[in-house]
Formats: sequence, C-alpha cells, structure tokens
Amino acid sequence: MVKDDLIEGRNRETVVLRISSVKPYSAELTSEQLEILADIAEQYGSGKAHVTARQTIEVPDVPRNCVDEVVSVLESHGLRISSTGRQLRNVIACSRWCLYNVKPMSELACELNRQYMNVRLPGKTTISLSGCDFSCVRSRTSDIGVIARADIGLTEKRCKHCKVCIKEPLGCQVDAITLTDDGVVIDRERCVRCGFCWNVCRPGTIEAKRTYYDVFIGGRGGMRPEEAKFLGSVEGQDALKALIQRIIDIYQANAREGERISDLVKRQGMEVFNGRA
Amino acid sequence: MAGHEEGFNLEMPKVGVIKGVLAKDIEVTGEKVVNIRTCARPYRNYYSSNQLRRLALVARKYGSSKVHLSPRHNLEIPEVRQKELNNALRELYIAGLFPGGAGTSVRNIFTCPDWCSKAILPVQELGLMVSKNFGDMDMPNKVTISFAGCFNGCSRPYNTDIGVYAMAEVVLDRERKCEPDCKACVEVCPFDAIKIQDGAIEIDTTTCTGCIKCVEVCKADVLRPGRRGYRVMVGGKEGMDVRWATEVKRAIDDFSVLETIDAILRWYSKEAILRKGSKKKKERLAELIDRAGIDSIPL
Repeated sequence: MVKDDLIEGRNRETVVLRISSVKPYSAELTSEQLEILADIAEQYGSGKAHVTARQTIEVPDVPRNCVDEVVSVLESHGLRISSTGRQLRNVIACSRWCLYNVKPMSELACELNRQYMNVRLPGKTTISLSGCDFSCVRSRTSDIGVIARADIGLTEKRCKHCKVCIKEPLGCQVDAITLTDDGVVIDRERCVRCGFCWNVCRPGTIEAKRTYYDVFIGGRGGMRPEEAKFLGSVEGQDALKALIQRIIDIYQANAREGERISDLVKRQGMEVFNGRA
Repeated sequence: MAGHEEGFNLEMPKVGVIKGVLAKDIEVTGEKVVNIRTCARPYRNYYSSNQLRRLALVARKYGSSKVHLSPRHNLEIPEVRQKELNNALRELYIAGLFPGGAGTSVRNIFTCPDWCSKAILPVQELGLMVSKNFGDMDMPNKVTISFAGCFNGCSRPYNTDIGVYAMAEVVLDRERKCEPDCKACVEVCPFDAIKIQDGAIEIDTTTCTGCIKCVEVCKADVLRPGRRGYRVMVGGKEGMDVRWATEVKRAIDDFSVLETIDAILRWYSKEAILRKGSKKKKERLAELIDRAGIDSIPL
C-alpha cells in the first residue's frame, strides 16, 4: 500500500478504505472475506460498505490512526487496499459463472493484480477482462480492454435440431447460423466470433477451433469518454500477459505525466503502439 | 389446510435469478444451479455489515461460499442449488436483500458514494426516489439509470440509458477584476469553454457542462457558482457497441428529474418495437432514439 491509496473522507480524521481481493480470486469474495469486511465496517467504520464500479468495496469513516491495524487484518485474509490515483487500478473481470463465457477471466485478473500491485504510471490506467463480446465489465471504455473470442467450427457429431443455437436469448446474436437437413451451416462473414453457439450446443456439433483475445486500448469513461480502439489479437494467456506488459512499457516510456493512454493515442496516434506492441 | 402446514410462503420476484451456469472449468456437481443477483430494496448504494454477513451465510449454506462483485452495485451469489432457491431467497429477504437487477427491467440504480468531497449536489436521495418509483419496472429491454454527483462521473452516466449529473451554472461577475495574467480558469477547463479576450472572460454556454472546475481555481471570485441542478442525458449504452448519451435537460431540480425520467420511460415503453430480425428482443433506448430522433421524446 502506498500513502496515496487512502481516500479523503468526510473530515480530516477519517479516511475511506478501498478494498479489493487478490486471493483466491479477484472479482469475487469468499464468505470469510465478506465476514471480515463486515467486522471491519462495524468495528472501525460506520457499518457500511459501498460496492464500486470497479469491483472494490469501499469502507467509509475509518479513523486515520486505525489504518495500519486494518491493513494487517486485510492482508491475512487475501484482501488489500486497492490503488487510486496515477496507478494501475484494480483489474476487473466478469463472472466465472456466466453462460456466455468463452473463457473465465478472473484468474488472470488476479495474476495481473498481484503482478502490478502499486506500479506507478503516468496516469490512471484501467484493465478490464471480458469473457465474451457483451463485455459487462466495460472493456470498450477501459484503458486496456480484453475480450475473449472463439473461432467456431463443426465436428463430426450429429446436430439434433434443438435450435438452441439459433434461438434467443442464448443463441446467435447476428443470424450467422442456419439449420438445414444436413446440419449446421455457419455464415463466416456474419459471424462475430462471440462463441455463444458453442456454449449452448449440447450434442457438441459446434466447437471452438481456436480461442483468442482481442485487445483494445485507449478507452475511458467519466468526464470525457472515449471508445477504445482495436489493437490486435493474441492467442493464449502468456502472450496476452506479455502484450499487456509491452503496452504498459510503451505507455510509461512515451506518455507525459498525467496523460492517460487515450491522451497518448490522441497526441501520437495508434502508431506508437501498433508498430511495437 | 395444506397451506397452513407449510407455513409462511414468500412470493419473491424471480427477475434476479439468473439461469444456472457452471463455467467449463468449474467442477460439475450434477445438480441444477442458479445465480442470484441481489441488491438492497429499497435501494441503498451501500450494504450494511449485517447484510454482508447474511450474504456470506447464504453463499456458504446454499452456494459455493463465493460472491461475485458486479459493476452495478449488485453482489451475485453463484451456484445456488435450484432446490434450495426459495430457502436462500427467504434468508436474504430477512436482511432486506432482494433478487433483482436482471432481465428486461429497470436495473439497479447506480449512484456515487455520499462521502465524496467532490460532489456538487448529493444524489443518493434522488436515486432512492427513482428506485422507489421506477425500480424493477418492466420495460421493453434493459434500462440502466445512473447518478453522479460531479462531472467525473464515477457511476458512468455517459454510458447508461438515462444518466443524471449534478451541475452548477457558472456566474460571471463583471464588476470584479481578474488577477493580472491569471489564466487558471482557461487552463483547467476540460471542454475549452472559457476564453479571455482583452482581459475579459467569455464563457461559451453551449460547451460548458457546469463542472465548476473553473470556479474552484478562481482566486479573485470573478467566477462563482450559480444555480445548482441536474443534467439529464439519454441514450447511452455499453457492451457490444458503445454509445454516448446526449443531453436533454440541464440545471433542473430534483422533482423535474423524476418527471423527466417518467416521461422518457413512458415514451420508451410505448414506442419500442422489435429489433430488426428478432422475434422476441425489443430495441434499447439508444436504438429507439436513433430511429425516432431525440426530438420526439415528449419533454
């Protein structure tokens, strides 16, 4: 934890603690962790806990002189004070239990959170990891957004004409699938590679031949929102982690103090990243 | 009298009960499971310590001892066994937690926390009023409503169907003189709405959003906060494609915010039609605005 991570409270004596989980998973809390948070909110704060948009929990009204005590309790339960200011913010990921998931992302979020704990950057940087094209965690308005995708193919297994893959709400969103007497036909031009049909196909006719990640950079929300631009696709978690590392390196080397990735892209164009990342 | 023997039967909305899913990497238990998305009713933007304890208890007893944090204040309890669903809901109900915030309805109202020192106006009470009036209301498609107390917009009103910002009009005091060579307001303005010509400040009211950053830096009190109010934006969305909301009202009071939201929701439920090529799904507010035009909202 660095000193900046404490958020000014209602008065000088109290602070707001922004807490996130790094163990066993980010994006979720275990029952024990919930109980610890309840204890902390009751004992040190005003018995309240605010859930933020970036999967952290904020406990307000904690006296400044109790912070060290709280931090040691948190750390023994896999929790930590989450970053604020010009740092890499809590990496968020979507639910592992979602039906649409091409790949569960919260393990990766956890690894990134541990790796980049308290890394100083030129500006606020957010990473969002989405398991599917819906991007509930807002990959398209984050500084670095990741969306998992699947290339769909067909197997030998016979289609049983259950029509789940073409019906709403879980089937194809873009009408790329038609069912004929011979089986499933996929319109490659229409397919957006979201992998929904693969998720719902029970007989196993539709299969993901390849899963990969689309990486977007330069998005932001808030005052001057910006949509992220597509950077490229990578296969495998190790390649994705390496790419994120390179993006952060380039950002650190090129950005002026206070600039976010979107500002850097605006000033120098996507070429800063395109050639080298 | 079979009903009496069973005891108290609680009718709960099933809108927040999401189809049970076991992700591919999670061990298949063989039982049907559901995810419960919970939130406090009436709406609060915080959970009390008792509610956290209750969530922990329910997750441990009926689920897999985990709770997922969602980006709209909701806490989701995954892998609740279908057979135990009613028991789980009953235990949540005791602590004031309800299932909700899913499907084609008005989703959980999202406001920023009340301890933030940056807020121009508090929005929590307004969020509560909106939640009481429109919360979980049935809609053609999902509708998200977010409130932000300042222009930083932590609750992201720019990307929601209806976003409300607190703002204040900037009043220019022509009697007073700027400090010599002070350009603090010009430099701080995020929207380039301020210009200094021949020593006189000019504010472009069309680009000014009322974030009063200029007022905060003005040492000579030339700029002062005027009427405070709310700014209503409609038609934003996020996810598969991103759209930004457009402003329809500015500097209105809290009662007018309720009226505006009511008018927008009524218009939306009346006018929304099926999406192109879809037999079930209706269009979202952003798509309706694209089709009918922003001026056709009866405000």
